[in-house]
Parts: sequence; C-alpha cells; structure tokens
Amino acid sequence: MSLWVDQYRPRSLDDLHYHQGLSARLGSLAASGDFPHMLFYGPSGAGKKTRIACTLKELFGPGVEKIKIDQRIFLTPSKRKLEVNLVQSNFHIEITPSETGNYDRIVIQELLKEIAQTQQVDLNAKQRFKVVIINEADSLSRDAQAALRRTMEKYMSNMRIILCANSTSRLIAPIRSRCLLMRVAAPDSDATGIVLDYVARRVGFDLTPDVARHIIEDAAGNMRKALLVLEALKMQSPDLSGNLSIAKPDWETYCHKVADLIVQEQTPARVMEVRAKFYELLSHCIPPTVILKTVAERVVERVDEALKADIMHWAAFYEVRMRVGSKKIFHLEAWVVKVMSLYKQFFYSMDLTGFD
Amino acid sequence: MSGKVIAKDIRNFFGPPGGQKPKQRSSQAGSSQQTLKNDPIEISTPQKSQRVHGTSEARGLVKLAAQKASDRMEVDDEDDLQPRRASGIKRRKVILLSDVDDDDDDDEVKPPPTKKQATARAPPKPATASPKSSDDEVKPPPTKKKAAARAPSKLSDDEAKLPPTKKKAAPKPRKPTAKSKDTDDELITKKAAPLAKPSATKLSTKQEVADDAPKKKSNWYAMKAAKLAGPSAPGSKQVPEAASEDCLAGLCFVFTGELSSFSRDEAIEIAKRFGGRVVGQPSSKTDFIVLGDNAGPSKLAAIKKHNLKCLSEDEFLNLIATRKGPGNGKGYDEKTKKKMEKEQADIKKAAKEIEAREKEAQKSGSSSKFGSSTNVPNIQNQLWTTRYAPQTLKEICGNKGQVEKLQQWLTDWPSSLKSGFKKPGKNGMNIFRAVLMTGPPGIGKTTSAHLCAKLAGFTPIELNASDARSKKLVENGMNINNRSLDGYLANVDGHCATNSAGVAITDRSCLIMDEVDGMSAGDRGGVGAMNALIKKTKIPIICIANDKGAQKLKPLQYTTFSLSFRKPDAAAVRSRILTIAYKEKMKVPANVVDQLVQGAQSDIRQVINMLSTWKRSSNTMDFDEGKSMVKMNEKYAILTPFDVTQKMLGPYLFSNTARETLGDKIELYFHDHSFTPLFIQENYLKTQPARVRSLQGPEQILKHLDLMDRAASSISDGDLVDALLHGPEQHWSLMPLHAVCSAVRPASFLYGQGAGYGGPNAMSFPQWLGQNSKQNKLNRQLTDVQVRMRLKVSGDKSEIRQSYLPALFPHIVRPLIDDGSAAVDKVIERMDEYYLSKEDWDTVVELGVDQNKDELVLKRIPAATKTAFTRKYNSVEHPIPFHKAFDLGKVPKKLAASGPAPDIEDAFDLDDEVAEVSDDEKEDKSADDITKDKLVRVAKKKKSAPANGGGKGRGKKAAS
Repeated sequence: MSLWVDQYRPRSLDDLHYHQGLSARLGSLAASGDFPHMLFYGPSGAGKKTRIACTLKELFGPGVEKIKIDQRIFLTPSKRKLEVNLVQSNFHIEITPSETGNYDRIVIQELLKEIAQTQQVDLNAKQRFKVVIINEADSLSRDAQAALRRTMEKYMSNMRIILCANSTSRLIAPIRSRCLLMRVAAPDSDATGIVLDYVARRVGFDLTPDVARHIIEDAAGNMRKALLVLEALKMQSPDLSGNLSIAKPDWETYCHKVADLIVQEQTPARVMEVRAKFYELLSHCIPPTVILKTVAERVVERVDEALKADIMHWAAFYEVRMRVGSKKIFHLEAWVVKVMSLYKQFFYSMDLTGFD
Repeated sequence: MSGKVIAKDIRNFFGPPGGQKPKQRSSQAGSSQQTLKNDPIEISTPQKSQRVHGTSEARGLVKLAAQKASDRMEVDDEDDLQPRRASGIKRRKVILLSDVDDDDDDDEVKPPPTKKQATARAPPKPATASPKSSDDEVKPPPTKKKAAARAPSKLSDDEAKLPPTKKKAAPKPRKPTAKSKDTDDELITKKAAPLAKPSATKLSTKQEVADDAPKKKSNWYAMKAAKLAGPSAPGSKQVPEAASEDCLAGLCFVFTGELSSFSRDEAIEIAKRFGGRVVGQPSSKTDFIVLGDNAGPSKLAAIKKHNLKCLSEDEFLNLIATRKGPGNGKGYDEKTKKKMEKEQADIKKAAKEIEAREKEAQKSGSSSKFGSSTNVPNIQNQLWTTRYAPQTLKEICGNKGQVEKLQQWLTDWPSSLKSGFKKPGKNGMNIFRAVLMTGPPGIGKTTSAHLCAKLAGFTPIELNASDARSKKLVENGMNINNRSLDGYLANVDGHCATNSAGVAITDRSCLIMDEVDGMSAGDRGGVGAMNALIKKTKIPIICIANDKGAQKLKPLQYTTFSLSFRKPDAAAVRSRILTIAYKEKMKVPANVVDQLVQGAQSDIRQVINMLSTWKRSSNTMDFDEGKSMVKMNEKYAILTPFDVTQKMLGPYLFSNTARETLGDKIELYFHDHSFTPLFIQENYLKTQPARVRSLQGPEQILKHLDLMDRAASSISDGDLVDALLHGPEQHWSLMPLHAVCSAVRPASFLYGQGAGYGGPNAMSFPQWLGQNSKQNKLNRQLTDVQVRMRLKVSGDKSEIRQSYLPALFPHIVRPLIDDGSAAVDKVIERMDEYYLSKEDWDTVVELGVDQNKDELVLKRIPAATKTAFTRKYNSVEHPIPFHKAFDLGKVPKKLAASGPAPDIEDAFDLDDEVAEVSDDEKEDKSADDITKDKLVRVAKKKKSAPANGGGKGRGKKAAS
C-alpha cells in the first residue's frame, strides 16, 4: 500500500483541486493540437509533476500512464560511461540530465536528437509528436542549455519539450523565450485544507479543522509535505486527538542542533565542530542551500532583533557564492564564522553599554 | 642638532625609521666582510695601501654628504610627506644619507645612553670598531627619526653608492674615539657595498610594512605596545661589531622561540657568520640557548634537564660584541689548537698530493705525445669535478662503510662466482651478482663505483642514460658472460681491443649501469631486461640510481644488494673542499664552505662547480658572497602539503621579522596547488594567531573572531576563483590569485603557533576529500532509489531525501526496531510497493542523520530480525521496475554471477562458490550484505547443517 500522497494523486486535469484556471488552460492547450514547448516552474510540492502527468494524459490518453524505466549508457568523448535513467511511455520520455553532472550536455545532445529523428510509429496516437520532459531544468549547465535551444526549434514537428524547474532564474533567456511559461504556485492554505479533507475522506476518517490548521502551518505550502505529515500523524495517534506534535525530519532536527551550537559558543573549536556536522549533512545528500536556509532561520529565531537582518543578509550573500563556487562547505563555514563574529561583537557591546 | 629637535622633526614627519634596519644589516655585512677578509686559510695579503686610499676617499664622501644632508634638511619637508611607498632606490639613498648624518652628530653632545653596560664591557680594540651598537635597543619609539633621514632622492649616484655602513640608528652615545674607527669601518664596508645593498633595499621595504602600525596608531598605543612586548619591531636591534671575526667559534647554539628583532633564519645566520654552530635540539653539549618569546615547552624542559645557559636576544648580541674569539690564537685550548693545526697540515698535504699527481699525469701525457695521449686533455682544461675527482678510497667524502662494502664485494667476486653465489660472506653481499647504489645526486656514487672497480682490478665499463642500453648490446658488447678472449688477445697485441662502445675489454670487466632509473622502453625492455641480465651475469654489475623507492626499480630489489648512499655531512665535505680551494689558491673560510655545502644539500659536485665558477671572477669568497652563490644555485625542492601548511600557518612566515616576499609565499602554494588550499582550509582554525597575542579578554576574542571571519571569507573568495579555474573556460592565469585568496591571505590573518605535527591541534588531512567522495557515493545510491520510486513518486532526488525518506522511515525501518521479526512481511510489502530492493533499504538507512543515523538504527534492530528480514526478502519474488543497463555483448561480471533469474540447478554451484569467496573477503565487513543472503539461501535449499550454522553464526556476529 503506497503512501497516501501517491495513492490519492490526481490522475486527470479535472481531478485537480486547486489552480483551476491553470488546469483549464492546460486542458484547452492539449485539445487545440497546437501544443507548445512548456516550462513549468514553482516551489517543490506545488504539483508541477502531477500537472504535467495530467496534461500528458489529456494529450495522449491513458496509454501515457503505462510507464517503464530504462537505463541508457552514453559515452563521453573521453570514453567515460554515463548511465542515464529514462522514464518513458510510448508517447513521452522523461530524463533528469543533471544526474550526470557536468556531462549533461552530451545527454541532451544525443538523446534529444535520437528522439527527434524518429517519428511516432503508433498510427492510433492522438498526436504526431512525442514529449520530452526534462526534470531539474534549473540545474542544467550552461552548455546543456545552449545545446537545447536550437534543438527545440529544429525538431518542433516531432517533439515537444516540457521543462520542469523550481525557478526560472537559472535558465538562459533564449530557452525561456521558446517556452510557454507555466507558473505552478504553492497551494494556499485553503487549497491545502481542501486536499487534506479530500484525502481524509477517501481514507475514511474525519479531519478536524484544528489538526488541519496545524498541518497546513507546518507544511508551508508544500502539498507533498502536508500529506506526508497527515499520514505520519494518523499513524502516530489513530484518532488524531490529544497533543499532536509533528515530528520533524531527521535532517531538520540536525540542522537545528547546528544552529544551537553556533549560538551557544563562538570559538574556533566550535567552528570545527560545526564544520564536521555540515560535512555530515552534505554527505547525506542534503542540498547546501537547504542547510544554510534551515540553519539560518533557526539562528535568527534565537538571536536578538538587531542581529537578524545582518545574519540573513550574510546568509543570502554566501548562498549566492555557494551556487557560483564549487566547494559548498567553504561558504557555509564562512557564513558561520561571520555569524559568530557578529554575535560576539553584539554580545560584548551589549555588555559594555550595560555597564555604562 | 640636538635630540629635541630631532624628536620634533619626527613628529612632523611621523614616518617610520626606515633607515634603521638597513643600516645594521649593512654594518653586519660590513663587519663580516672585514672579518672574513682577514681570516681565510691564513694566506692573507696585506691590504694596507688599499685601505689608506679608501680612508681618505671615504672620509671625503662622508663630509660631502653630511653637508649636503644638513643643507637640505629644512627644505625637504615636503618630500618626506610624500607617501612612503617610494621606490626602493630612493629609500636607500635616504638611508645612506642618514648614516652620514649620524656620523656628524656623533661629535656633538648626545643624550646619555640608557643601556651602556655592554659597551662598557667591551674591550676596546684598535683594529676593529668598538661595539657600539648594543645600546640601540634603547627603543626610541620607532617614530623617532632624524629629519635627515628623510633626505631627498635627488642625490647623485655617486653618493648613493656610499656604503650603507654605520650602525646606530637613533640618538646614541659614542665615545669620542669613535670617529676614527668609523672611518676605518666605512672604508672596509665600502668594498662590501655592492653586496650589501640589495639586502638593504629589501629590508627597507619590509620595514615599511612593519612600521605601518605605529604610524597609524596614536602615541600611547606605541608606548603600551612597547611596554607589553618590548621592541618587537624588526630592526630595532642591530648586530654589533664583533669583538673578533670568529668570536663565537667553538660555541654551540640553540635558538628557540621568537626573537623580537631577528627572524630565526637571520639569527642562525648571524651565529654562523661568527663561527658559531647551530643545532636544532638542545643537548648537554649545547653551550647557549637563545630564548625568544613563546619558546617551545620541550626545549624549556631540555634546558632545565641539562642546566643550560640561556641568553636573551640582547645577551646574545652582547656576546658577539664582547666575546673574544679564539681566532687571535689565544682563545683555543691546546687540544683544539693542535687539532686545527693538524687540519691545516692535512689540507696542505692533500693539496700537495693532488699537485704531484697532476704533474705526473702531465708528464706522462707529454712524454707519449703521440698515440692515445692526444685525446687526454690538458689537465688545466679539465672540469674541476674531473680534475679533483677522488683517486683513492681515502679521498671519498662520507659513506665510508658503503664504499668498503662495495670494495669487499668486488674483491670477493671471483670466489663468489666460483662458489655459485652460495656463500653470503661477511656482509651477506656475496650471494648477489649485482649491487644497486642509490642516493641523491652529487655525492660520489659513480665516482666510488669506478674507483672501487679499478682498485679491485676490474675494468669498469660504464653505460649511462646517454648510451643505448638494449639487452642485445649489453650482452654482446659487454662481455657479460665473460666468454670473450679479447683480454688475452689484447695482451698479446700490446694494444687494447675495444668493444662497440669504444671501451677496452679485458677478462675482468665490471659493468657500471649508471642512471638506471632513467632506463626506458627505448632500452628494449628497460629494467626488466637489465634484471634478466643480472640473473645470469658472469661479471659484476653495479647499478646506480637516485631514488631507491622508485616503482621502476622494483624488479631489482630482489636480485641486487642495495647500498644506499647518504648525503655526507658538512664536516666530511669541508676538508676536501678546503683542499681544493687551497690548491686553487682561493681563500674561502670554513664557515663559508659549510654554508655552500649546506645550501647545495651536500651535493659535492655542485659545490665544486660553484667554486670553479667563482674562481673565474675572484679568489676570495666571504659569507655574503657565499650566500648569494647558494641562493643562485638553489635546488628546488618540492614540499609536501603538510610542510607547506606548517610553514604558512606557522609563526614565522608572516611575522614582522620574516623576509619572504609575497612572491615567495605564493610560491609555496605552487608546491602542490591542488592540495594546499584544502590543507589551509582544514587547518586554519587550529592556530593561536600571533596577531592577537598581545591582546586580552574580550578584545582578544573579538579580534580573533574577526581574523577568522576575514580568513574564512577569503577562502570563500578562493573557491570562487577556483570555480573559474576549473570551470568551462579554465582561466588558469588566475592561479596566483587563487594562491593568494585560498592560502596566503587566510594564513596571513591567522598565522601563529599551534598547527604542527602532533599535539592537540595537530594538522590533519583535509576531510573534504573523504567527505566529497562519500557524498558522491550516497548521491549515486540516492539516484538509484529515486529511479526505482519514480514509478510511484513524482519528486526529484532532493525531495525524496528530504520528504520521502523521513516519511518512509516509520514504515520500512522502524517496524523492524519496534516489532522485530513480526513486522518483516509488512515492511517487505511496503518496499515492493515502491519497488525498493534490499540494497535500497540499506541506502535508506545509510542516508539517515541525527537520530536516524545508520549506526544507531542498525544497532537497534535485533540480529534475528535482520536475518529474518533478509531471508524473507530473498525467498519471495519482487516487482522489478527495470533492469540495469549494461553494454551489449559484454555482461558485467557481477551480473553474470548473480543474474536475476538463473536456472535453479545451475545456480546452486555458482551461488555456493560466490558465497565462499566473499565469505573470506568480507569476513570483517559488517552485517547485511549479499553474502549473507546467499549463504542463507544455499543453506536452506541444501538443508545442510554446517552451512546453516555458519549462516546463523555470521548473522549474529555481524549484528553484534
């Protein structure tokens, strides 16, 4: 039995509970026969993939739900083998080029050309073209994006591309201009409440507004998180009553511990302790930006008002550097030291003014 | 002018005393010049006339310059206010002038000295200047400076060349007699001027940096700093006139801690300059320990233990100023005196021997004018290295034991050949047909080999990297089987037969394979063929290489006897070099020779080459000339990242007394440009920064954090540069910038004691490498999990990690902890739902942090549950989302061994084997790998008791 979030995932555009306008537009686009390249963007847990799947179903019919996974091997010019996982049906193919890191250009070039050069063989297919979904488009390297731009125009007759990204900021302008931009915003609390209610009814229990509010607050617009939390709570106390505490995921509690370490003591030894913890988080596949964000938010909670703006400023400063640079830990650590320095300065100046 | 005026002027100019340091440096150079001139191997030519001439000239210059300086004094205020970053030349001129001015001042009334004892104690010596300088540390705050020092740069070249001689920086007491001595000194140091000048310039720039602080800060700060740390500005003291040129001769020094005025290197150099010996660790034989700030605890302990005499920096300088060296003949006791005399006699004797030998060679060469003698070059035209190559075993420097062994082996060769290399002999060498001599270049390996071979009666045949060394050529040409009759024929004919390489062949040849590590594939089989030859050779083979541990030489390890030659110490080389110098009528004092030897890292050949080059221009070499010679011929040694880190973060590189330029510091990064930044980043927090040492309390903490912050942000900058270096455009030209950002700058903030080898804050290897590869590995595994879950889940990788794994944890891991084996079915059902395999389950556990950390979790799952889980999982069919990709036609081994659904009958044997093999391999590996699954399965199917027991046993062990 799957988790509820997967079990009760909407399958068609009509089933979607929120952003009705967007659903309607997608429906009409699919029906028109003049389907453009698209770029779906929005925060995670907003329903981008679900919406893409629904749109595909609208385009090609239920056949698109029969998906299989394939692995393909590409050779780089330096004879390195790249394994790429493809999720595909008869009508579409889904790739995540960022899996291959710096070699994503090769995947884009080879795979897209190959797909584009073959025509749809199924005579009963509703559409003449295939759809390529590119996940994590915002982590495509510049080269890969450049490789994409011409392909998108050249093979328009055989292929449509749907890009899926969290934000458009890292996509080059030529790509953005070739796509129809679809912003999938995070659901507001009402929408989340509706979905939670719907799931609860499907499962067969009543969700009290109080609990729902609690969950919605915690999820902060992430529908996936909301549903997972709902299930976790239900599992924790089957009647959903009493004092419900939402268990934080392991990495989040760990990040909070790091933040506490920073606030407690400001010494070189402590920085090295924090560094070890950062390494632990990074090596366990927590993205550095998430770490920085979580820790910074926690630190800000625990310091004086006067420091908050500065700490966030430097967090933003080093987040940008993290994206540009290659060794994330350097920037994380630089931020930690900066915060410690600020904190201590503030601490002592407080002390001194206290004496005056 | 009076002291008061001076002080006032200074306040106007607020400039740092740029002139001080260079002056003492030059004085030091000058004095040594003088001392050394008089010293060397007692063949000193009178320089009287020159001196007299020099005196008048120098005096004239002094007067002229002094006049000019004072003329300009008032006029030049504006000039002085200009930024201090004027060119070095300008600075130097200024300095020179100020010196002269000083001389003038001396005649006038001076404020009384605050510290006069040293001066007083010094015995007045007519020939050398009196020790006037020790009172210099009477720290006039650095800002105190004479107006004249600011003198303009428009002076003529002529004046600029005036030797930067006289010591005494600030108002300073002088004896009335000083004047005449000064001129004396000046004329002597004048000769040294060209040499001393470069260093003076360099130092003055350094000074500028050091003096920045006092310039900026207010006066009370300077006073406070002075109170706290004494005059810790570099150049606040100067090396006094030595009482005698070898005033420290026979003394053994240890330096520890940070001196306030000299860098460690400088101090050591000073000690050596005056004939002292400097060792690293104190022992009972140490005469003095010179203690600075922050002396190492182990050295302090040693001081206590051996009850050694400690000197402060000042006392050390006093010692130089006052101690009468034994050089004048009285200081040494009888024994040393005799010893020295004997040494001298030996040198003379050796030189005579060489001379005699040369004459003989010349005679025999000229007597047989025709024939072979035409290609014997005139002895005068030979390189010194050939000319003075050792002719007897006695003449070989160092490695006596090794040479003797070689000699013995060669002598024993015929008998060991006869016995079939069965009798090991005294050294155990006689079972080998070849020896491998290894050692750094220039220490006489080839020479020893040739000499030994000749002395043992063999004809050496040398093949080096310049010869083609194919197997065939060696075998046929070199008489390797000793089957040739050439030797006999040659004797009959009366002239020597030669082989293809033009080498005479006798019945007793010895093959010297030089530069074996340079053998390549071009030599038809290289070292391998060589090795084959060694196995069957009937003549002795001596192989010579530099690096013993080289991978290339592995084959020779078992077939040859290894003789490793070590660098001879300076003492062993000294007498030989002195002999050669004597023979060539050069005057090189012993401490200069020591310096050359040390600088060349005991490379005798290089030292001789240096001398022969030097001989072209001059017959004498003093300490400073020697130093620059060494500097020019410096060998470039690659430091390990650990050494680089220690050097960078250590207390000396950035201290005020350090002499390294920015270029030198950047150079350190290039020793290993990929590792140095990582090492710095790993270790930069482990120091106790020298910059905050003088602070206390909150101020110190804040400053420390501030420095850390600046260092960390610089490292962060460095990473951005690194991204440009390794990015798509590969801006490699930015490497120096990367060096500064990632290594030099952070270190400049946080340098200090602490990060060394061992101790609580020992340097460590960068974690980044290990953590990065771990991250990559787990990332790959997470990708696998994501792909499998993709059929059900829309999220990408990070979503899986951040949301799904914590959500799945209560469903697929926790039940095993809470309910034990009862939960196995449910867990497996849930896993199948998401197409997760057993390996993915492991990944899910492995990816946990904090309370879900894999170690904690695995510990809490009972062993029995784990076993039940694996057994159950393996016994049922699971949905497979896809098959792993593999190359067509080439099935990876792993897949072949444990394919998805092999024929049952065939699978038994196969599985059995796999289980056994991996059993051995992974005995110590912790639980839950496939090995166990397979064993369990085999046991079940075969129903064989032992296997079953084994399976259980391991399950338990792994779990515990």
